[in-house]
Amino acid sequence: MTIQFRPDETYRDDYTYANSPECIARAPFPFPDDEYMYSMNLEPHVSVGDGALKAIFDIDEHYISECRDRAITLEKDPGMHYVSAPHMMEAQWDLLELIMESYASDYPEYFTLEKDGTRWHWTNTLLNIDDTFTFGDPSTLPYEPMEYITRQAQGDWVLQEERDGTLYWGAGIATQRADYSLRFNLGMAWHEFHGPVPLLKETGMLDRALKFLLRLRCGHPVRRLNWSLTVNPRLDVSAESLPDWAPDRTTVTAENAGKLVYLRIELQPLHRLPRSNAIVFPIRTYLLNLEDIATNPAWAKRMHRVLKSLNQELVDYKGFTRYRDAAVEWLSQFDDGQDEEVVKAG
Amino acid sequence: MLITGIKSRPVYDQLRPLPGGIRHLVAGQGSGGRAMLRLLDEMPEQGMQTTLLYSQESFSGLDFLAELQQRQVAELRVYPSNQELVADLERILGNARMGTRLYLSGSESFIGTAMQVATHYDMNSDEVLREHAGSFVRRIWCVHCDSYTENVTQRVFQCPGCNAMLVVRDHYSRRLAAFQAVKADAEVPGELPEAEELDT
Repeated sequence: MTIQFRPDETYRDDYTYANSPECIARAPFPFPDDEYMYSMNLEPHVSVGDGALKAIFDIDEHYISECRDRAITLEKDPGMHYVSAPHMMEAQWDLLELIMESYASDYPEYFTLEKDGTRWHWTNTLLNIDDTFTFGDPSTLPYEPMEYITRQAQGDWVLQEERDGTLYWGAGIATQRADYSLRFNLGMAWHEFHGPVPLLKETGMLDRALKFLLRLRCGHPVRRLNWSLTVNPRLDVSAESLPDWAPDRTTVTAENAGKLVYLRIELQPLHRLPRSNAIVFPIRTYLLNLEDIATNPAWAKRMHRVLKSLNQELVDYKGFTRYRDAAVEWLSQFDDGQDEEVVKAG
Repeated sequence: MLITGIKSRPVYDQLRPLPGGIRHLVAGQGSGGRAMLRLLDEMPEQGMQTTLLYSQESFSGLDFLAELQQRQVAELRVYPSNQELVADLERILGNARMGTRLYLSGSESFIGTAMQVATHYDMNSDEVLREHAGSFVRRIWCVHCDSYTENVTQRVFQCPGCNAMLVVRDHYSRRLAAFQAVKADAEVPGELPEAEELDT
């Protein structure tokens, strides 16, 4: 499969990021119903269709630009967007191996991996990388293994270790995190880092999801979708940089919502890792503005209904209290009130 | 209801003698002295294996030093501030042996910072007990300037580190021993959320 990359897009300042029609069509649309509530939406991560659910770890036309934006964010604030507890090194190597093997097998035209014992040769033609290193020896890489490989990967990545019957944040790279702080979350247990999410504990979902994940087996990944809204196609929406991007929320009107309001879809394919027994949580983000959504009238109709009926606690938590009404009004032009099946992506 | 609404606030214990202990470190601060005295009553045989660490820093003004001085223990160490107690605890744990048991009693900030030290030395949950005492004033971490503020009682306050008006989120990190706060008027400068007393 050949991807027409868009190598010069920006996710900040002048925001030249844009989706091709093909890229819109392949996005994993996250709304299975007209009303949205958290659910145990975990399913086996098996290859489906030709879109975002085909590869083990999906890449798309934004790959090169997104890797550049990650590098900019990492350089701007060292220690803020990549953190790892010292004992996570084995899980880091696990992750490096998983990403390299997955990319090389799904996208052989862009990535190759040759192994000669612990001597590994990795090429990434999209970023002009050709490195030979010793697997297990961090001194043979320019960064720690997790940072090295995720600088070449789309999406955020969090490594969780299993201890005392729960999962703890042991390491993460997060240059596109939705209003949380990586440094703050590091070391937190499952119930702690989910603390701020409304309605999750009350429904028993938090306990059920943890039980399910603790049974996750190597080689049997599962996936789920999550979503939020952002103003502008901005990846760095961390808690730390809140003052830089929160003012944008006041700029949304019913007239410009189609261009300014972006649906952030998070595809999370979770894998158990073989040596460390850690679990990796990738958060692969897709950004589609409401105009993109509206190129599929069934999507626009459904999203209108989802946003209109969404529980206020979730609106507040996801941070679009100030412009929910504007987005709903813009989308209302696509909802004739008639019911019809929404075509799902993939 | 103190815990309501704060889903990541630590759940505390009640101090009681831990089995298997050869040496007992009982560390407390301010009104936490009351729980220390109660614990000592429950383990009269272990006095000579017990070291007390007490800080007279107190938000509520309560001081149990006089009562603690009456007890028969191996040693009583007294500190003017929680910070000095925690620094000494770090030195003591650095030389501690198997069979050491740690009991903490005091404010959330005191327990949280003392637990950072205990965690650093890999003390397990069956080797440490923590009893909260006094008010639930909060230790706050500013996400923007990476500074900490002690004894915060208001939902909205000014950060001494970066001068921003911050709003406290009900989200606690044990690693940082602090709640998180973010810029309160980030959307519209000057437009602040309603002032509110925290559930201290």
